[in-house]
Amino acid sequence: MSNVAGKAYGMNVMTPLRWWTAIWQKVIFWVVVKTFPYFLKGLLTLSLIHYARWTIINRWSFPRLDKSQPKEKLTYSYMLFESNFNGSWDQYIDSFSFAIPSGLDMFWRWNIKYPKSIPLHDFYHYIRFNQVECDHYYNAYPLASANDVKSAQALYADLAAFADSSEALSDDAFAAAWQQFLADNQHSLGSMGTSPLMSTSNQLVQEHHHDDLQLAARQTQQEEA
Amino acid sequence: MTMDRALDLYDIQGNICKGYGRFGFPKARYFFLEFHQYAGARAFLQQLIPLITTAEPWSEKDHPDQSDKPQATTNIGFTYAGLSALGLPRRSLDGFPLEFRMGMKNRAGILGDEGPSDPANWDPVWQGEPVHAWLSVNGQSRQAVVDRYRQIEQLLQQSQGSVTIRPGHKGPQGSLQPWQDASAVYENGRVTPKEHFGYVDGIGNPYFAGCGNDPSRLPGRGKLTRDDGWQPLATGEFILGHIDEAREYPIAPEPHLLALNGTFMVYRKLHENVTTFNRYVDRLATDFDGSRELLMAKFSGRWPDNGAPLVLAPDDAAKAELDQQLAQLTAKAAAGDHTAATELRALKAKWIDFTYNKDRHGSRCPIGAHIRRANTRAALETEKDAFNTPSALDDRRRLLRRGLPYGGEDETPADDTEQGIIFMCIGASLERQFEFVQQQWINYSNDFHLGNDRDVLIGANNGQLTDKHIIQVNPKQGKAPFFCTHLPRMVETRGGDYFFLPGITALRMIAQGIIDPT
Repeated sequence: MSNVAGKAYGMNVMTPLRWWTAIWQKVIFWVVVKTFPYFLKGLLTLSLIHYARWTIINRWSFPRLDKSQPKEKLTYSYMLFESNFNGSWDQYIDSFSFAIPSGLDMFWRWNIKYPKSIPLHDFYHYIRFNQVECDHYYNAYPLASANDVKSAQALYADLAAFADSSEALSDDAFAAAWQQFLADNQHSLGSMGTSPLMSTSNQLVQEHHHDDLQLAARQTQQEEA
Repeated sequence: MTMDRALDLYDIQGNICKGYGRFGFPKARYFFLEFHQYAGARAFLQQLIPLITTAEPWSEKDHPDQSDKPQATTNIGFTYAGLSALGLPRRSLDGFPLEFRMGMKNRAGILGDEGPSDPANWDPVWQGEPVHAWLSVNGQSRQAVVDRYRQIEQLLQQSQGSVTIRPGHKGPQGSLQPWQDASAVYENGRVTPKEHFGYVDGIGNPYFAGCGNDPSRLPGRGKLTRDDGWQPLATGEFILGHIDEAREYPIAPEPHLLALNGTFMVYRKLHENVTTFNRYVDRLATDFDGSRELLMAKFSGRWPDNGAPLVLAPDDAAKAELDQQLAQLTAKAAAGDHTAATELRALKAKWIDFTYNKDRHGSRCPIGAHIRRANTRAALETEKDAFNTPSALDDRRRLLRRGLPYGGEDETPADDTEQGIIFMCIGASLERQFEFVQQQWINYSNDFHLGNDRDVLIGANNGQLTDKHIIQVNPKQGKAPFFCTHLPRMVETRGGDYFFLPGITALRMIAQGIIDPT
C-alpha cells in the first residue's frame, strides 16, 4: 500500500520517549498551545499541510483490541506524529526543516536519538526509520489539495451570497457587482487537476494499478464470452 | 560563518561562476560525445584539459578588458552513462544521486515533458542510448567559436574512433547538425539580451559565497534576512564539497576529490512556438485594458523591452515615467554627470533588488507570473515572521541559469522553424532545485494557492479552458481580474539531459583513470 492518495500523502511517525520525559513533554505541549500560539504560526503558514498532530502515548496506555489481548510491557512511551499534506515526502520534510527548524526541535527534543532538524539528512533518516507506512489510505477528493478545498469553500459561500443579493439588480449594477465579486475572489479561482507525480516510484505503482485493472477487464470479458 | 571563505576558482569550471553572456561571449556551440573505448577516451580528455576554462577571475572589475579574457571558452560535463563508459568504479557511480543516474528522459513524468514535449519527439541526438558528454564552446565571435571547435575536432580525430561526436540536432531548413549553435539575439546588428518571444531574459542570477562576483551584485540575488538585507547563499547550494543551506555537505559521490568543486547541470533545448505566442498575445490584447507590452509583462513579471520588473512599474503610465527617468539619467551620465551616473546605477539595481512584500494581491506582478514562480523572493512567507528566515522556502530552490537563445538567424521564426532557448542551469541538487521548480512552481500552483494553473510561457499547457493565468487586480478598484484562458503550448522540450561538471582535479583524475573510493 502506498502512502499516497490523489494529491495527499499520509504520514505516521512513532518515536520513543523515556516515560518521565513523556509526562514533562505533555506539560510543554499544553503550555505552548495555550500561551505561545505564535510558535505555531510557521506551521499554519505552510499551506501544503492539511494538519499535523502530535500525541503522547504513555507506555502503559497503549490500546488493546480486547481484554483478552495481553498487555505489552514497553520500555518506552511514544510520541505519535500524524500528518496529511499535499506534495511529496521530500517537499514536506524540506519545508519543515527549512522554515520551522526550531519549532520541530521543540516538539521532538526529548525523543530518543532525535538528531535535530538541521542538518537535513540526519533528520530525513530519523523520520524514515520511525515512519509507519499506511496500510490503507483513502481520499474523498483526490483532485483537491487542502488549499483547493479552502478556496472552493470560500468561493461557494461568496457565490451563494452573490446569487442572493444580485437578483434584483439592474444590468449595469449586476455587471459592476459581478466584477467586484471576481476581484474579491481572484485568489480562489485556480484550476482543478490531477496531482503532479510525487515520484517515479509512485508512477510505477500507478502503472501497475492501471495494468491490473486492464487485466481484470480482459478476464471479465473472457468469462462473459 | 563560511561566508567569506575563498574558493579555489582555478579548480572550478568557469561556467559555474560566470554567465559568459554577460562577459561578452554572445556565441556558443554545444556538442555531445560518445566514448567507445576507455583508454582512448581518457587520453582524449587528458589532451582536452588544458583547453578547459576555469573560474579564475579575469579582472578585478566585473566587465574586464578585452585583453584580460580568452577569445573562446571550453567546458565539459558527463552523463551517468558517460562516467560509466570512462570506467569509474561501481562504488563511485552508485554514489551519484538517483535523478542524475536516471537521466532527464526517465524523469519526463516529473518534469511535465508530455505531448509535444514527450522524449519520443526530441531531436535524434537524444534518441536511443544516452550521450556521454557535453562540450560547450563560448566565443566573443562566431569565428572564435569555430576556431576552438576545430581545435577540439582535431583531438577527436587523434583519438582514432575512441571518442566521436553524436550528431542529430535539428537545425535551420530541416537540416540535421552535428552540433547545436546558440547565439544572443541581434537587433539592427547589435547584441540584445532578448529571447525569441521578445523578452529581455536572464536577469538576476543567484549570488553565492565565494563566487568571485562583485559584492555590489549581492542585493536581490542572495537570501533575505529579517532586516530586509541580503546575504550570499551557501556555496554548497551550487558547488559540491561545500556546506549548503542545511549546514551539511550535498549528496555527492566518493571519493571526496571526485565531487569537490564539481556540480550538476541541466541542458534543455526549449523550442519556442513564436507564431502561437504572437497569435495568442494579439488575440488577448484586443480585450486587455492596457498595451500589448503590458500584457506580455503580466505573463513574465518583467517588461519585455528592458526587463524592468512590474513591481517597479505596474502599468503603462508608470512604465512611460520610468523610461523617461531612465533616458534622462542615461543622457546625463553619458555627458559625465557623476551624480546622475550614481542615480542610474541605483535605479538599475531595482531591476533585481526587490520583493513582493507590498504586492501580496498580485495587482502589480501577477502571482502566477513567470519570475514570481521561478524565484519566489520570500513571497511564500504569507504571514510575517512565520518562518526561520523570510526566504526559508526559496533559498534551497535557486537556479544558476546559463543559457543562450538558438536559431532565428537563417529563417523568420515561426512554429515550425528551429528557434528557442538552450536552457542550462546549475545546482548541487537537480532534484531539490531544478526538478522541484519545474514541477511545483512552473507546472503547478499549490504553493501559490492557484490550484493547477501553470506558467504561461514554459508551462505544459494544452489549450484547454482551464489552462489559464489570472492577472490579479487591486480589489478596491472594482475591476475584475483578467483571465488568460486556453493557454497553448508556447514552449516545447526538444531534448536534454543531466550532466556532472567535475572540478579540474577530478577531471584530471578521471582522465588518468585513478578515481578510487577505497
